[in-house]
Amino acid sequence: MASLDGSTIIGESILISGSLAGDEDLTVRGRVEGTLTLTRTLVVEPTGMVKAEVQVKNCVIAGVVVGNVTASESVEITREGRMVGDIAAPRVIIVDGASFRGRIDMGEVDVGGERPVARVEARPAVRPAVSRPAMTARPASAPKAPEPRRVEERPAPPAAPSRPAVPPAPVAMGAVKRKVIVKTKK
Amino acid sequence: MAGIEKASAPRSGAHTVIGSSIVIDGEISGDEDLVIQGTVKGRISLKESLYVESSGVIEADIETANVEVSGQVTGNIAASDKVELKADCKVVGDIRAPRILIADGAVFKGNVDMDVKAGK
Repeated sequence: MASLDGSTIIGESILISGSLAGDEDLTVRGRVEGTLTLTRTLVVEPTGMVKAEVQVKNCVIAGVVVGNVTASESVEITREGRMVGDIAAPRVIIVDGASFRGRIDMGEVDVGGERPVARVEARPAVRPAVSRPAMTARPASAPKAPEPRRVEERPAPPAAPSRPAVPPAPVAMGAVKRKVIVKTKK
Repeated sequence: MAGIEKASAPRSGAHTVIGSSIVIDGEISGDEDLVIQGTVKGRISLKESLYVESSGVIEADIETANVEVSGQVTGNIAASDKVELKADCKVVGDIRAPRILIADGAVFKGNVDMDVKAGK
């Protein structure tokens, strides 16, 4: 698995503090503190611990990550993964069993087509090699919102003005509050 | 079929490998072997062996048990056991270790201290 070239491994007993940058996959089984910038995939294994500002293409978290993660493609927190910090990535996968506290920003989210079916289509749950455009990092304020007029085929709920345009909001808001507490503790 | 895989990576098993495109600025410490193919600036302190491969560039003070250099090192090296400068390495800095090996072809500038008592 660990090919000699093009793959970096930080072993279990290793601590790196400072900045780490590179253009290859990185597997962390030890500890990395500071900043971590990669143009490829970061894998934090169950023994790994990253306390850093992370900027990568893909990130798989099976260990511990404390800090903000910005990924140009995807962030996945596996069953064993634990993370505290904010995630900014077009695709974020959090599986059952993972623990996470922080904010998630998937870039522009289309809350106009509020039927869940449409949302699933817009972002497939599988991981194809979709080259999504580099994220624009604008939260859901894109000028797409004012077009939900054309939802006639919706089963017209009795309370017309109740537009459930808040899919990810409750979780995120609660998380934000708690995160502020974490920050003040430092 | 699985037997073919066996000899694939002589040094990458349980050890740490810093790949050739990686740049680390800061401190590395640990209790295991470390193979460096990339660039490290700052400080390295290990309890085991450090291998600087030919693509490796180090601008750091090094404190380990063993050091084997095939790449470039700028900085002081202190080893509790052995320092080995291989044929195509380039080292600038002081070396302190009980055993120091310098191969033919190695480029080295600095002081060597093998901790010899002068008036034996």
